[in-house]
Amino acid sequence: MNFKKIAALLLSGALAMSVTAGCKKKEEAKSAADTIKIGFLGALTGDVAMFGKPTLEGMKMAAEEVNAAGGVLGKKIEIVEADDRGDKQEGASVTQKLISRDNVVAIVGDPTTGITKVAAPIAQKAGVVLLSAGATGPGVVENGDFIYRDTLLDSVAIPACIDFFAKDMGYKKVAIITSDNNDYSVGLSQTFRDAAKGKGIEIVADEKVKDGDKDFSAQITNIKAKKPDVIFFSGYYTEGALIMKEARKQGLKANMFGGDGLFSPKLIELGGDAVEGTMSALGFSPEQASPVTAKFVEAFKKKFNGAEPGLFDAQGYDAIMLLADAMKRANSIDPKVFKGTLAQTKKFEGVSGTISMQANREPIKSPLALLVVKGGKFTLKAKVPVKMD
Amino acid sequence: MGEALQALLGNINPYLLQIIVNIGIGIVLALGLNVITGLTGQLSLGHAAFMSVGAFSSALLTIHTGLPFSVNLLLTGIITAGVGVVIGYPILRLTGDYLAICTLGFAEIVKVIFLNLDITNKALGLSVPPPHTTIPMPIMVWIVVILTIIVVSFIHNSRFGRALKAICGDEIAAEAMGINVARYKVQSFAIGTFLAGVGGGLYAHFISYINPSDFGFLKSIDILSMVVLGGLGSIPGSVIGATILSAAPEFLRFMASYRMLVYGGLLVFMMIFRPNGLMGGINFTEVVLRAIGRKPHMKELMKHEKPEQ
Repeated sequence: MNFKKIAALLLSGALAMSVTAGCKKKEEAKSAADTIKIGFLGALTGDVAMFGKPTLEGMKMAAEEVNAAGGVLGKKIEIVEADDRGDKQEGASVTQKLISRDNVVAIVGDPTTGITKVAAPIAQKAGVVLLSAGATGPGVVENGDFIYRDTLLDSVAIPACIDFFAKDMGYKKVAIITSDNNDYSVGLSQTFRDAAKGKGIEIVADEKVKDGDKDFSAQITNIKAKKPDVIFFSGYYTEGALIMKEARKQGLKANMFGGDGLFSPKLIELGGDAVEGTMSALGFSPEQASPVTAKFVEAFKKKFNGAEPGLFDAQGYDAIMLLADAMKRANSIDPKVFKGTLAQTKKFEGVSGTISMQANREPIKSPLALLVVKGGKFTLKAKVPVKMD
Repeated sequence: MGEALQALLGNINPYLLQIIVNIGIGIVLALGLNVITGLTGQLSLGHAAFMSVGAFSSALLTIHTGLPFSVNLLLTGIITAGVGVVIGYPILRLTGDYLAICTLGFAEIVKVIFLNLDITNKALGLSVPPPHTTIPMPIMVWIVVILTIIVVSFIHNSRFGRALKAICGDEIAAEAMGINVARYKVQSFAIGTFLAGVGGGLYAHFISYINPSDFGFLKSIDILSMVVLGGLGSIPGSVIGATILSAAPEFLRFMASYRMLVYGGLLVFMMIFRPNGLMGGINFTEVVLRAIGRKPHMKELMKHEKPEQ
């Protein structure tokens, strides 16, 4: 058998497989006529799969629980998953596919702000509810009244943190470091600058780095001269760890503080002793749990062999629960109807905190978890309450 | 007219429409790169950068001016071509690997500039409002695609196009034949970047949110793969290559996480069995003419033993 024959055989095999796979899907669709279809939009492969995968896990867990308890309005929830690889063009196609091919009533996703902004106009136009379980940046819900999110917004979290720092910790001088090729970081730093005004906190340095940089000696030298109480770094954990290593090398004593971008075991892996005392503010912590959260943590551990749930697991779980709750209250699975009750969600007891939707459809969540690295592990430093109306 | 067209499109599944638009944008970009890399033989790894120049200029024109979309796209193309000429003039003196590295470097520079400009909203990117036109996006995209194919076909068959092919074949020989190599190279670069700009403009309005990091090295490679898969220098090749590679991620979706494996495998198989690309070395016009009987088939030619040409 020559090479061409083998290739032909392989190709025909792949073709046959694809045909059978296609058939199987059709059968599934037929049997699932009496379900409520909720789409998952996010990356299951690629660079940002670390956000997409746990979101889907959480969603599936929530759907199982809802279905075990009899479903919503007598119907079972079915999750239709679609991978967008973290690519915008594919995100747009996937959103369109979920809406017109799978006829979903709601989409949960994308966990990143960028793709949510691409998907939102499509969902709004088609009249399907889009609930992002991860987008924290600005310009998401402005797309229309079908667009929601269940995350703790930077614009809510950062002022609460600043209050905590100014009052409870007595910090006065802050040095900001921004990673200026990272949209998350640029947005977060701007939020910090705006929130710090009039709070008795002085920004003594405002340095810029880039994602992928390795050498931060110049920035740290500048910051050291200004003697800040704390360094605010708005980027991701890789650069965060390297910045702290450089800071400790130069003898800078101040600790680092950042958003959920710093929250990763990789931070400790890369930073070692240097990241001891580094703080990360995020919307979820399995410690000091409310009864709802404790139940979720236990169920999660049972399902995933003792693994602790993360922020995205909890947000994915809450997304499904919020939608189910809105549908129940609206007594309808028509997105045009239950979008109204979703907007009226008040003090919803989610596993990632209590969620209320404001008049501008932005969520407010409480409490905020402030984690600190202690003994090579993220531990809860404080649960900072967020003011709710 | 706009509503009638919109109603017409209403019968087509929006998901399919989305893929068709993706394909259309892919074709415009691939045909642009085909003029530079396929026809003239200048390897450019910075096509996505020109696409981003187009995307941001087009978005800014829509945001800040009330220009109709067609004028907007034309202006976008001209702006991008202008940037292309300014960049092309010095770097097109280089050949082969050096040129490739230079275009790569340029692409990085463009990205960093957009990341630091206030007008492009830095790393946060721009939300693009709907274009000022009544013609629905899919039809707009395909009008541009058809215009592009016509223009590029004319270029291929013109004196200018033949000069470019000569440069691709052998630069020194071309110069000896009296072709002003430097000028022709810059001109082909201008045409290619013009199309990249138009493609970028369409992309920006179609996707409605753009960010400098969308137009990275991988995007350039995607476009280059379309051209190479289809066959360097072949217009139908670029069209087919862009169609396959734009549609593949969606049609392979049922394989879930294995689909990118198949996508990569497709490229590897192609390069093994058709190293010149799908349409490489095939004269499309002749194939069509033979098929409709306007030109005798190769077998008949061999039978009569009097080859033409």
